[in-house]
Parts: sequence; C-alpha cells; structure tokens
Amino acid sequence: MTSLIELNGISKSFASVRVLQDISFDVRAGEVHALLGENGAGKSTLIKIMGGVHRADTGEMHVNGNAVHFTSPRAAAANGIAVVHQELLLFPDLSVAENIFMGHAPRTGWGALDWPQMRRRSRELLDRLQSHHIDVDARVGSLSVANRQRVEIARALSQDARVLIMDEPTASLVEEDVQQLLSIVRMLRDKGVGIVYVSHKLPEIFALADRVTVLRDGARVGTAPIGELDERKLVSMMVGRPIDQLFPKQETKIGAPLLEVRNLSFGAVVRDVSLTLHAGEILGIAGLIGSGRTELALTIFGITPATSGNILVDGKAARIGSPQQARDFGIAYVPEDRGLQGLVRSQSIQENISLTVLKTLATGPLIDHRKEEKLARDSIARFGIRARGPRQIVRQLSGGNQQKVVLAKWLATEPRILIMDEPTRGIDVGAKSEIHALMSALAARGLGILMISSELPEVLGMSDRVLVMKNGTLVGEFDRTHATAEAVGAAMTLANHSGEAA
Amino acid sequence: MSRYLLRHEAILAILLVLALFVLALQSDRFFTLDNLLNQGRLMAEVGLVALAMTFVIVSAGIDLSVGSILGLVAILLGIFWQKLGLPLPVAMVLGVVVGAIAGLVNGIIITRFRVPPLIATLATLALYRGLAEGISQARSVRGYPDWFFVLGQGEVLGIPTQLWIFLFCALIAAIVLGMSTFGRATYALGANAVAARFSGIPVDRTILLIYTASGLIAGLAAITFVSRVSTTRSDMGTGLELDVITAVVLGGTSIFGGRGTIIGTLLGLALMQALKNGLALAGVKGDGTIVVIGLILIATIVISNLVRRDVDG
Amino acid sequence: MAIAGAVARRSATSRLVEAYGQEFVVLGAIIALFVIVGAVNARFLNDNNLVNIFSGNAYIAVAAIGMSLVIISGHIDVSVGSLIGVLATIAGTLAVQGYPVWIAWSVPVLVGIVINALVGALIAYFRIPSIVVTLGMLSILKGGLISYTGGTWITNMPPAFFIAQARLFGIPAPVYFMVALTILMALWMRYASLGRSIYAVGGNVEAARASGLYPERICVLAFALHGFFAGIAALLFATQLQVIQSTVPPNLELTVITAAVIGGVSILGGTGTVIGSTLAAILFACISSALVFLNVSAYWLRAVLGLLILATVLADMARRRRHRAGGRL
Repeated sequence: MTSLIELNGISKSFASVRVLQDISFDVRAGEVHALLGENGAGKSTLIKIMGGVHRADTGEMHVNGNAVHFTSPRAAAANGIAVVHQELLLFPDLSVAENIFMGHAPRTGWGALDWPQMRRRSRELLDRLQSHHIDVDARVGSLSVANRQRVEIARALSQDARVLIMDEPTASLVEEDVQQLLSIVRMLRDKGVGIVYVSHKLPEIFALADRVTVLRDGARVGTAPIGELDERKLVSMMVGRPIDQLFPKQETKIGAPLLEVRNLSFGAVVRDVSLTLHAGEILGIAGLIGSGRTELALTIFGITPATSGNILVDGKAARIGSPQQARDFGIAYVPEDRGLQGLVRSQSIQENISLTVLKTLATGPLIDHRKEEKLARDSIARFGIRARGPRQIVRQLSGGNQQKVVLAKWLATEPRILIMDEPTRGIDVGAKSEIHALMSALAARGLGILMISSELPEVLGMSDRVLVMKNGTLVGEFDRTHATAEAVGAAMTLANHSGEAA
Repeated sequence: MSRYLLRHEAILAILLVLALFVLALQSDRFFTLDNLLNQGRLMAEVGLVALAMTFVIVSAGIDLSVGSILGLVAILLGIFWQKLGLPLPVAMVLGVVVGAIAGLVNGIIITRFRVPPLIATLATLALYRGLAEGISQARSVRGYPDWFFVLGQGEVLGIPTQLWIFLFCALIAAIVLGMSTFGRATYALGANAVAARFSGIPVDRTILLIYTASGLIAGLAAITFVSRVSTTRSDMGTGLELDVITAVVLGGTSIFGGRGTIIGTLLGLALMQALKNGLALAGVKGDGTIVVIGLILIATIVISNLVRRDVDG
Repeated sequence: MAIAGAVARRSATSRLVEAYGQEFVVLGAIIALFVIVGAVNARFLNDNNLVNIFSGNAYIAVAAIGMSLVIISGHIDVSVGSLIGVLATIAGTLAVQGYPVWIAWSVPVLVGIVINALVGALIAYFRIPSIVVTLGMLSILKGGLISYTGGTWITNMPPAFFIAQARLFGIPAPVYFMVALTILMALWMRYASLGRSIYAVGGNVEAARASGLYPERICVLAFALHGFFAGIAALLFATQLQVIQSTVPPNLELTVITAAVIGGVSILGGTGTVIGSTLAAILFACISSALVFLNVSAYWLRAVLGLLILATVLADMARRRRHRAGGRL
C-alpha cells in the first residue's frame, strides 16, 4: 500500500526545548492511523508540521512520493492535507457555507465570489456527511459543537483532502454524537481518505484504528497494527511503565459527612444531583466531557450559583453564591483549565499562592510581605515545587509544578472540602504520582476530596467511591470493590436516550 | 515582573534626567523653582486623573470618559452654585459626587452588561460631554468668591495648593496599588480575570470601585481646574484622556493590563510635562507639543512591546 | 438538534431580517423621524433642508464606510476626524498654490491611504492595540495641523476645485459619492474574497490564519481602504463651503464611529455592513436637523448621540449573549 504522506526523521525545537526528535510517520490511503501519547508528548506539534503551521527543523516530508516543504496551512491544503482542529477554528458570525469555503471559495468568471455555487456545494458536502439538517445559511455560532465539527469536516472535504488530520475530535462530544462521528470517519476511510486520528479514548482507538503510533516525550515509541496491541500494552507504551504502579492508594478511615448536596440544579446542565462527601474520602466523578461534571463543580463552588437545590456543609445549610463564600465554607476548587482558571501565569509563585488568602495575610488593608513570602517558601518546600524561589514567574514552571502551585494556593486556605477537576491533566508521569500521593495524604488527614477525571484508571485507582454523570445527572454509583473499568465505562457511555440527539 | 518594571522605570528616570538636563541647557528659565512649581500646578489635574487611570489600565480596562466627566462636573459646579444658589462648598462636594456617579455608571455598564471598557467609555465620553453642553447651553459661569481660588491659584508653604492635593493622592494611590489587598486584586484581575474570580477575588466589585474612583477623581480635578482658570466652560477637559493615558502608558503600565506602578506614572507625568514646557520655552508652539506627545506614546509602546517579547521569549 | 432543524426550514424573509436587522431598524427610524418631524414642522421636508441633510453630511457617511471596514476587522480608529482635517487642508493648500485640480484632489486621498496603511502596519506587525496607535495619531495629526496652519482659514480656491458643490439633475455631487461608494463597497464586501477576509479576520484571527489568510496584510488593507475613504470624505468636506477652516471638525471621529456602530457593525468585529453605516450617518443628520426644527437646542445633540451609542452597544451585547446561549444548546 502506498503512503499518502510520509515523514522521515522529523525533529523540532522551540526556544531550545526539543519537542520532537527523529519522528517517522506515514499515512496510507484508506486507513485510520491513530496517534497516541500523553499531553506534551509532541502530538500537536507533529500535527502542526503536517498541517503547515510549523516547519520542521530537520527531516523530510513526502506527499505521494514527492518531497514537500509546507510554508503555510494553504500549502498543506494544496497538497491535500486538512486538519480538523480540536478547538474548531471557525467564524461564528459567518454562514455555514462561507465557513466551509473561506480562503478557497468558488469564483465566477469576473472573479467575484460565486455564492450560489458555494451554497450548492456546501449542501452536497454536508449531505455526504449525513448532515442534511444543517442549513448552509445558518450562522455557525448558532450550531451545536457536533454540528460545528461537521462543518469543519466538510471544510476539509471541500479542499479535496486526501489526508484528514483529526485532533481529539470526540473530546467535547456527547455519546450519540461520538457514534455518528465514528461512522463518518469510517465512511471517509472507505472512500480512500487517509485519516490521522488523535484521541485519548482507547475504546475509540480500538473501534476505529488500523494502525497506531505512540509518542512519548517527543520521540516515537512504536508503530503497530491494532491487532498486535491491547489496552494494557498501549498504556504502558504511552506512560513508559505498567499501569498498576500509577495510582498509590492509602487505606483511610472514612469519617462524618462533610459536604451534602441535595437535589442541586443549575439550568439544564446540572439536574437534580444529590451526593454526600465524607471526611477522609476521595469521591471520584466519572463521565464524558459535557456530562455536567465540571458544571456540577462550578455550581458547588459558586461560580455558577445553583438555580435550585441545597448544599450542606457539616450538616448545616450553606448558601453559596460566589467563590468567596465557597472558600469561607472551607471549599477549595482546583480547576480544570490551569492556565485560564487556576493561575495568573504572568505573576510570581508568591503572588499566586497568596491570592486566595490575601485577607489573612494582611494587617488592615495592607499585605504583610514577610508573611506572604514565608507562606510561599513553606509551600515550595511542602509540595516539592521545583523553582528558583518564591519570586519566579509561574509561566516558567513545568505543567506539574504549575499544578502544585494551584494546589498550594488552595491548601493555603486550609480547606476541608477539596474539589479537583482533572487534577493531573497535561502533566508528566512523575509529577502525576506525586500529586496522587498528596491526594492520599490529604484524605488521610481528614479532607474530603471530590475528584473529577476523564482518565478512567485514575478514577478507579484513587477513588473510594465512584459516581457517574451523564447529561447533567448522576446515573450510577460504585463502591471501590465494584468499580471496574467495564462497569463504570458502561455507565458513562450507555445510551439512555433523552432527546438530546444531534 | 518586578525586575522588568524596575528596568522600565530606571530607563524612564534616566530619560527624565536627560530631558531636564537638555532643557535646562536650552533655556535658563526652565530650571528655576518658579517655573518648576508652576509646571507642577499645570500638571496637577492630568496627574490626579492619571493616578486613577493607572488602576484602570492595570485592571486591563480603559476610561476614555474622564475628560467629559471633568467637563460635566465643572459645569455642574457652576450650575449648583449660581443657578441653584447652593453654598459653594456644598456645590463642590455635590460635583465630586456626580463625578463618582458618572464613574459608577461606567463600571455598571462594564461589569453588568459586559461591554468592553473601550466602547463603554467611548459612549459615555459622548454622553457626559453632551450633558455638559446641553446643561450649560454654552454659557460659562464666572465670579467665584476669592477663597475658592486658593485651591487652584494659591500656595501652601510656598507650594501650589493643588500640588499638595496631588502629592497626597499619589501617596495614597501608591500605597493602595503597591501594598494593599485591593491593589493585589487589581493586578491579578488585570492579568487574568478568570483566575482571579476562581481565586475568590470579588472581580466585579473591584472593577466597579476602580471606575467609580476614576470618576470621583476626575470630579476632584474638575474643581481644581475651575479654581485655576476662574471660570467654567463645557469644553473643559476635552482631550484630557489622551494626556492621561499617554502619561500612564509612558510610565510603564501595560495597556494589556496586569502590570504598572504609580511611581512609573509619576515619572511618565514628569517627563511629559517637562517636554511640553521645554518645547514651549524652546519656541515650539503649543500644538506642536501634542505632536511630540503622540509620537512618544507610539514609540514607547513599540519599544516596550519589543522589550517584553524578549523577556517572555 | 431541534434548533438546526428549525433553521433549515426557516423562510427567506426571516433570514433577511436576521442578517440585516439593524439596517432595517435604522431605516425605520429615519422614516419615522421624517413622518413625525414633518408633521410637527412641515418645513423639515422642504427641498432645501433635505439637500442639506443628505449632501451636507455625505462626507460622514463616506468616512463611516472606511470606519466600518476597520471595526469589522476587529480594530478601531479614533483619529479619523483629525485625518480628515489634515487631508482637507492639504487639498485646499494645493488648490490655492495653483496646482491642477486633479492633483489637489488626488494627493490627499493618496496621503490618507499611506498614513493609515502605516497605522495598520504598526497595529498588525508590532501588535499594538489600535486604540493606542490611533490615540497617538490623533494627537500627532491634530497638533501638526494646528501648528502648521495656526488655525487660519484657507480661501480663494479656484472654482473648479469645489467638487462638492457640483450638481447633476439637481442632486448635489456628495449624494452621488455617498450612494455610489456605499453600493460599491457593499458589493465588494459581499462578493470579493478580500472583502470576506475582513469579516474572517475580525471574527476569528486564528481560524483566518488556519484558512490560509494573512491577518496582518488584511489589517493593513482595511486601514489603507479606510484612509482612502477618509481622503474622499476630506474632499467632500473641504469643497462644500467656500472656505476650509483648517482645524479638525470637533468630535468627528466619534460621529463616524457611532455611525458605524449604530449601523450594525459589531464593536467586537466580524459583522456589519456599510449599508447600515451609511443609513446611520443619514439618521444622525436627520436627528441634528430635527432638533432644530423641533426647537430643541443643538447643544443637546451630543447627549442624544451618546445615548444612542450606549443603547445600540447594550443591544448588541444582549444579542450576542442570546446567540452564545443558543450555540450552547
């Protein structure tokens, strides 16, 4: 079988940091080639090189046997390579048809845009994707995420893409949409398109891929036909060691209820959720992205105050209308998006850690700088943050150390209830187990931890109990002994149709 | 960050010394105590407003309406006193209160309705100036009692009264921005408003307070302005926002928010005023100096962007 | 998804209303104003006044076309008033010094293009916010103009220079300029790929880059075009009276920005049409004229404009929030 695109010995550095080292990779016509690796393994850089956004420092790239050097996304597109971006790079105020043809619209004889043709061809492309319900004149901003993604795929097809690169296409889709997307991908494959499929979700990989390439720390660990792999083998290729060592678990005594949530709702995204978190307990919440897990956390934490239902802390009713109030009730939240929600990255470690406890560090309105610096030094020592000192800018730290700063700033509030949303996303394996060990230690000291995670092994390994969310409600509860990957996975994905199709 | 700021301020200080030196050589009238104190008097209104504007820009906002608020308060001062017959001190207090309310309205539009500050205050720039024009019908108010002029034309211990007011406010502003929890909240929300909110900082309340203070201090500046020029007119303070923003940005405050200091703003103000005065003494006509200020504004940002890229890169 | 299904079956009329909603509102306001003010004071509708409204303010509409491009591309320009003042003075000075009329007409337009292309380049390549660059330009242009002319008036231009006073079929030339340029640009913005690129860049810079567009070049282009329209506006402004005041018309930039925003150009970039901005410029002219005929002091005009901008911006934000909420379903 011939390769549509072939990369040999690709290396790439940013500001003297090596992100890709001697990578070889190829995609054949009519195959789905899955690209796996932890965050930071170099997947997105590799995609960007194939898509013409970045240029490789060394190595060569061939399309249909011809050497190519892409200087822009346009050049990549001209060679039949298109990318469906994870963040869906679309124009919300423009129509579907225009989004599909932006940059390569059909022209009339005069050179003017040929709107009728643009709309007609958009219609054909969307119909090919079984998306008859998407109006070519609709504003893209008014479409659901799944429909926007189809617009992106249609956009790729409109450029006669023979290689389609899909970057975590199911990351923000609900289950019904995932199944439809997978069937679209299969259909494209059957028509001879070569597909690079990036995903963290192993079930999808096994359902879809023909071959798998795993990257770790910028290097290629291996490429193999899917038939030669199983889940355990893939994970150990990704993380570099067997999965069992990953999640240390201390036995802890479960104490009295700390946080009780009664029939909590926020609009339509969190519906009638009730749960109890005990002292010393790690309560895992599993669910797909979009299942309402993060929204539940945001509601408990007061970012989006509940529209109905009650929250009890220590058995007493707690009215939480803002993060300040949540903090004063002893609730801390380590958010999902570290860079946006967790840290002020342009500020120092010291300034970040003190941000949650400014009042307690101050005498009157003025901050006591000595206390502030002491807190920062203590935190650096306690959490093993690798930094030059309290005044180092957070942006310069690695992902794992940044996450430790987020933890430090929230533990400075001496919380009793700790909500952790994706506590180890995008950090290296070493820091990951440090954070897991820390969570165990905190639970042992009597904190209640509510942990949201997309990584099933993490949920299963760390939690005393696992709750499963879907469509904004709780759909399952498993104690430690019954929480198996199969059972929890099934609860997460099982279709109980609730009219939220599309 | 602090290292970067220190560097910017050090560059600015050297630039200021150089400018003073060159200007002193150019004209022997420049480096006299009288001239310098007089320059301080002229700088006071822009300076006052620039203090609050430093907070505004550090919080990643902007307030284009300060000149219009100044004009509105000036007009109302005259109206309250002359038309409504209120005692002048009451009229002064009311004027400052109106300024604060005007600022509060800006803050509400920005926090409540999520209108970008640039557009919100561009709209109120027109609105407040329009109110000043409509209320005054282009008539000026004169004939204030003599004691009132102490504020804008008098001296205390040999130093112009409004310079005392300005220095006092500058001290307060420097302490609040540099050392208080409020100042820290301002930096945090300017650098990353979402993270600030997630950290339990009352973001909206802080922004409301900042814009209210900006309006209040523009009102205060209006009163010293009226006292200095002995009259009220509706076009007072036109273009003030330009001078103020230039001084603040020149002083090293990032237009993208999150960094800046009061010391920097003071240096920026001093440099700007020295240039204005020096150029005037060197025979450049009044309007020529605005050209220089515009050039300096653009040049500073270009340079500071280039420097910042080095630092971050 | 239920919403998308509904969209697919929606009628062409409702789509037209959604796409051009603001334009219809402004048009409706103009008509209402004519009816009401005309009823109160019939002189409002006489030929002379109508000519005044349309011709005397055509330059604002022309400048607002350029401003719309800039705002749609995601930027703003607060210096256009000063630029028009400078370009008008250049035109007048050249005419007085005896240069051929075509030079007096074309040089300011070229200068406008060059100056604003430079502004655009500063914004695009040095990543300086447009508000800062144009605030600086405002002061440079204004200061430069006043210190050059000393505020004296320019008179004694040759008769051929006064292009704005020409008439064809009884209609003054500025009206032709306004209508022709608006239609031309409306077509360009709809049918030229560069025109659409401006929407793309204003809507989502990263997506534009991924689509193979060059956002920096498009920013420079938008500003250069804006400079062209400022040049034409300056000509209309300079030639409508026998003298050029050679100062900057006060708050012209604000009026121009307001026209663009009220005409439906979103302050956040990415949407709007030049038809809307032209209609809004006409609406302003009507309002200021109406105030006179309703015996309201002209000194309230600016307050009315301020309220109008505020109301439009608030409505725009509310609309956007609704759209975002819709997108989340």
